[in-house]
Amino acid sequence: MDDIDAMFSDLLGEMDLLTQSLGQETVPPASLPSTDTEVNFPIGFGDLNANLHELEDNDLDALMADLVADLNATEEKLAAEIEGLKVPSPPPSDLPPPPKGLSIQPASSLASPTSPARGTSSNVSTPASSTASPLPPPPPQSSKPSKEEIEAQMKADKIKLALEKLKEAKVKKLVVKVLLNDGSSKTLMVDERQNVREVLENLFEKTHCDCNVDWSLCETNPELQLERTFEDHENLVDPLLAWTRDSENKILFQERGEKNEVFKNPQNFYLWKKDKRALKEIKEKDKELLIQENFCGTSIIVPDLEAVLYLKEDGKKSWKQRLFQLRASGIYYVPKGKTKSSRDLVCFVQFDNLNVYYGKDFKSKYKAPTDFCFVLKHPQIQKESQYIKYLCCDDAWTMNLWVTGIRIAKYGVSLYENYKTAEKSAVSSVWTNRSTPSSSNPSTPSPTIKAKSPSQANGHAPKPQPGPVSQDFDNVPLPPPPPPMADMLPPPPPDPVLPPLPPPLAAKSSPKPATPQRHLPSNFPPPPPAMENLPPPPPPPPINDASEAPPDFLPPPPPPPAAGYGSLPPPVSSLPPPPPPASFGGMDLSLPPPPPDPGFLPPPPPRPMFTGAGGAPPPPPPPPPPLQPAAPRPAAVRPTGSVKKMPPAPPKRTTPAQHGGGGDGGGDFMSELMLAMNKKRGNN
Amino acid sequence: MCAFCPFNISHSLLHMLHAHAHTHTHTLHMHHSHSLSVKAHFRLAETEKKKEQAYFDRSDTSSIDTATQTTTCPAQERARNCCIFSQKNLGNFFKDLTEAQESPSSHFSKPWTEETNDSSPAFLSLSLAPSMAVWDLSVTVEDLGSDAPPVTLSVASDLHVGGVILKLVEKTQIKRDWSDHALWWEQKQRWLLRTAWTLEKYGIHADARLVFMPQHKPLKLCLPNGITLKLRACFSNPVFQTVMGICRMLNIRHPEELSLLRPIEQKKKKKDKDSAEEIYDLTEVPLSSVSRPCLYNGMPAHFADSTQMEAIYKMLSVTQPPPAPEVIAKQYRPASVVDKAHIHGRWLDSSRCLMQQGIQENDRVWLRFKFYAFYDIEPKYDVVRLTQLYEQARWAILLEDIDCTEEEMMLFGALQYHISKVSQSEPQMLSSSAAMDDLESALQSLEVKMEGETSTASEMLEYMTAPELNDYLKIFRPKRLTLKGYKQYWFKFQDTSISYFKSKEESIGEPIQQINLKGCEVAPDVNVTAQKFLIRLLIPAPEGMNEVYLRCENEQQYAQWMAACRLGSKGKTLADSSFQSEIQSIRSFLAMQKTSSSSHGNVPANDESINTHSLVSPRYHKKYKTKQLTPRILDAYQNVAQLSLTDALMRFLQIWQALPDFGLSYVVVRFKGSRKDEVMGIAPNRLIRIDLGVGDVVKTWRYNNMKQWNVNWDIRQVAIEFEGNVNIAFGCVTADCKIVHEFIGGYIFMSTRSREKSDTLNEELFHKLTGGHEAL
Repeated sequence: MDDIDAMFSDLLGEMDLLTQSLGQETVPPASLPSTDTEVNFPIGFGDLNANLHELEDNDLDALMADLVADLNATEEKLAAEIEGLKVPSPPPSDLPPPPKGLSIQPASSLASPTSPARGTSSNVSTPASSTASPLPPPPPQSSKPSKEEIEAQMKADKIKLALEKLKEAKVKKLVVKVLLNDGSSKTLMVDERQNVREVLENLFEKTHCDCNVDWSLCETNPELQLERTFEDHENLVDPLLAWTRDSENKILFQERGEKNEVFKNPQNFYLWKKDKRALKEIKEKDKELLIQENFCGTSIIVPDLEAVLYLKEDGKKSWKQRLFQLRASGIYYVPKGKTKSSRDLVCFVQFDNLNVYYGKDFKSKYKAPTDFCFVLKHPQIQKESQYIKYLCCDDAWTMNLWVTGIRIAKYGVSLYENYKTAEKSAVSSVWTNRSTPSSSNPSTPSPTIKAKSPSQANGHAPKPQPGPVSQDFDNVPLPPPPPPMADMLPPPPPDPVLPPLPPPLAAKSSPKPATPQRHLPSNFPPPPPAMENLPPPPPPPPINDASEAPPDFLPPPPPPPAAGYGSLPPPVSSLPPPPPPASFGGMDLSLPPPPPDPGFLPPPPPRPMFTGAGGAPPPPPPPPPPLQPAAPRPAAVRPTGSVKKMPPAPPKRTTPAQHGGGGDGGGDFMSELMLAMNKKRGNN
Repeated sequence: MCAFCPFNISHSLLHMLHAHAHTHTHTLHMHHSHSLSVKAHFRLAETEKKKEQAYFDRSDTSSIDTATQTTTCPAQERARNCCIFSQKNLGNFFKDLTEAQESPSSHFSKPWTEETNDSSPAFLSLSLAPSMAVWDLSVTVEDLGSDAPPVTLSVASDLHVGGVILKLVEKTQIKRDWSDHALWWEQKQRWLLRTAWTLEKYGIHADARLVFMPQHKPLKLCLPNGITLKLRACFSNPVFQTVMGICRMLNIRHPEELSLLRPIEQKKKKKDKDSAEEIYDLTEVPLSSVSRPCLYNGMPAHFADSTQMEAIYKMLSVTQPPPAPEVIAKQYRPASVVDKAHIHGRWLDSSRCLMQQGIQENDRVWLRFKFYAFYDIEPKYDVVRLTQLYEQARWAILLEDIDCTEEEMMLFGALQYHISKVSQSEPQMLSSSAAMDDLESALQSLEVKMEGETSTASEMLEYMTAPELNDYLKIFRPKRLTLKGYKQYWFKFQDTSISYFKSKEESIGEPIQQINLKGCEVAPDVNVTAQKFLIRLLIPAPEGMNEVYLRCENEQQYAQWMAACRLGSKGKTLADSSFQSEIQSIRSFLAMQKTSSSSHGNVPANDESINTHSLVSPRYHKKYKTKQLTPRILDAYQNVAQLSLTDALMRFLQIWQALPDFGLSYVVVRFKGSRKDEVMGIAPNRLIRIDLGVGDVVKTWRYNNMKQWNVNWDIRQVAIEFEGNVNIAFGCVTADCKIVHEFIGGYIFMSTRSREKSDTLNEELFHKLTGGHEAL
């Protein structure tokens, strides 16, 4: 037993070292990222170093956040454990979501990664089960002592933890730079279990946009002059992995009306043959009926499209006209001299392995008859190839009709589900916005808030809301509150650990939201046992937010998620749930705890890092990189930071710190952390 | 006879009054009471109507009850009921009666002499009632045989139908349960079901030919799956109710979606074969047991009685094996839209009974889904419904009743293959009862729980290391080499990638190449007889797709590597649970190829030796040999091979429903003002107008824009008004306009279902929407 124990602690230690090294590595390459091209680095332990060197400064934040998340997770576990031991679990029970869940959360965050191991698809069951059973024990604690059983349990948990970490290590993560409309960008860490919706929610939180259903992530391929909107249920990492290393592809965060147009005006797609004027006068009731008929029946009905389109012939420069038909099973064309009868149709493509893209400026690039072109290709194809199908339409409307029709045929009911989810999110954001003022207030009281922030309930909660619903579990684990919508929001539980608070706020009436936050602070005290030790301000993850937060928030560092909300002036709070990927959420939560005191750091893995950090308060880790969409903010930020990219972290830090007295503490934390990391690096 | 009930009296009274008002009465007697024009009579007529109504409500239910319990003569039973009702109004009658007597007319002067019923209680009033002329009524009693002469009864016009029946039964002197019997009036083609009505009210005279026969008679029912059942169906109620009864017996929910149609005449030559066709007899099922379906062992109780019955139920609830290609080829296939329209002209009228539509005992009719709006399909409760729906869809595809593309046909073929395979291997699932389901789910959750608890570290470690395949294979990459050559390497399949090495010994080092299969296309290139086992891979790369061929030595190797490639292309590893079943399905397809290419005599009972021609329409029999067809179906099969039976059925139905022409019932029509025939397609949500010449859809009208529709029964024209002042009118060529009317009304009825959650069928609404003038 001892051997095994030793072995595993070694393993854990090693892992921690690895993580640390990661953090360190990132730190050094502080070279400013002037380059606009964004680079996605697959981060795996294997090729970490190589990648790290390429990282830009900005990206460091994200990385840091990620790392911290790990720590936090463990930390939380610990806290949960302590709670479990010392405090009966009453508090959790109050929590709307599973109280236990909360405590578990940390664990779950870890666990979740495990389950999916490689697959993108998250096996919910596995993580859940694992988390549930072993709730408390992960990190061996001093407090635990007493029983042997506990020790045994601890051992087992350790093993699990190690394994989970191993698996976690296998989860692909990318640092992604997302370009905003104003030319600025945000850098995010996205792991392979996250879907686009979650990333969007994350961006909502960071940008304080209005969260309407049109917001989308788009991929552009300058080489092929293509672009496409990711569907909300898609995994973001997968398509990005298809990019070549030297790719100039970009990811944009934009409002794309065509994404959900079919649900706003279904008549334009399903009754397109009808008189245009009559379509304009169609009643809401009839629209609903159309959606019902086509998306809510046993079978999804694809718009019945038929048109003469131009097809660029394989390898040739000429465009040939053909009569195409769209069916649920693919695109067909009518061969020459044949009738339009189904049995005579020739299959042009089926959609299993193809994505549909809009072509840009094909008139000049490929001598297309018009600029209204769309393209079908395997997502992995990144350069010109005979396997790419180019089609050209007479007008923009036809093109939209076809692209949307193809999406319906390919994705089916997922599109409608995405729309409903987005709608809910938009609605909740509206609510929050209304409440915003109040929420903003809470944020002001930085000191208290910070304390709260650690709990981060807000930050976490949000995530769950958005993401959970849609699918990936990954996120879910973190924040307990699976209830996607605000409806469920039971008032935030008092537990510090519990992250659920935020969501409720957003969803619920304005007044309430405000209160919850305030309450939280008060509530926080309870957790103190564990919490107290922990100094509040571990702001790593929030970094991104920090950029914004700084202005308002003095003490940004401490409350990562909270900061996100509260700090961002009003908007933040309004942002429903930041769907930040699980990893983020985890980070937030964990953040608070870790920083506290090295001494306390119970969780073995995280500790090392922290300990080191504790030693020195070097560079402030979280640079406030991306400019926020919010006009005012960004403006403010920009000056401070570098033009496009995220300014080096340090500046931002300082800003926030200056603002808030309380913030200083937080800042120190961060700097301490950085110091520690540097130290470590040095040691290595 | 008057003793039967006071209604008789009231009738007489009515007539008396009538006679009083008008001097000549006889002709008026021929008419129904509501045709009376004299105001003074209305009050009376109305009360009579009400009473009658009450009577019928009561008597209808009672007749069902008595059907099971007794041999009591229904007429007597009814008579008793009548008495109960009558007492309340007795006072009135007397009053009326006295009034009437004060002014007797010659017509009523005849003394009441006949005494027919000694058993029923006589009323005082009876003796007071004036009697009518007695005449002879002849009734054919079917049960006496066709040769037996009609039974003659002496009756008076004020005799109640119930009384006639009573007399008749007594006269035949046969003791049996007559409760299901009723009188059928041949000339008028109508049932005399209102036993309280007098002969006079029905307008029956001595020249009427009445037949006394059971209302439920055997009917040969051809189901969507091609099986013919013989069962007792109601010949006297509207077809709508007949179908409800049939569906109840067969355990099909939502009978409103089905209806009956006249079969297509078979060519005479086939008759000998038809006689050989097996007919499954359900006529012994007591009608009473059907009224209340309770499940026993997952099937209605009447199917659990004997093993034969169970076998029949299995026939209903399990999909049929793929038909032989010759069988498909032999079936009638509509060649054009007009042909299809003719089929839709065969639907029976839902608001009239079978007898009225010329359907005779033991005639053959088809039971089909008529309205393509399938509400609330719940595989757990809809085993028979789902199975029959699938069969109907399958035959629609096989017979090209609905058009699809070649790719779609292959997918349908693959699903059929999968469904027939799975339904043979897991027939249990179909008949599992609710209780079993609960148990199952409980077990499942238990399993999950245990899994969760036992997921120890070692297990987790295991999970992390996926199994791999290693073997010598030959590879060929057409792009690189101009010379066609397969080179042998040591291959390793791990995770979702294939790597290859010079030899096994060198496999520890760096591979010559590693190919990630995720997202690639995998296609078979196999010829079993030639022992060619190729796997063709199209591997995506940033520059395009790379083509790679892998050559396997034998079936075994091929099945494994093919399965691995398929999983890999979907991003799954060999650890995936579907790996083994994937191997199995590939092998069974190889087996299919083997048997179909080898001699015919070599076809054992091996269920894997399905001729792929059985899975597609005859068009493809000509187009492809089985050898060519099999790989194509296999190709489509890989996407559905993992589906459970229910999922596969549902998938089949979904793809069917997603076809552009789904749900269209055609009728050839002629639009008002137009001189040429056109086709009207009636879909669940719209009407479409199709130009026969071009075959194109000219116009679409949606029901939700419809303001009203009318049928002019005199000129047989359907007129529809849509919002925006759009009016159309057309006459129907290939079908009665009642059929079109019923389709439109029926679909509107179907769309109302989702709103009212109750399970009870709003029959009245259906008739209102579909009945036309007859419903009023």
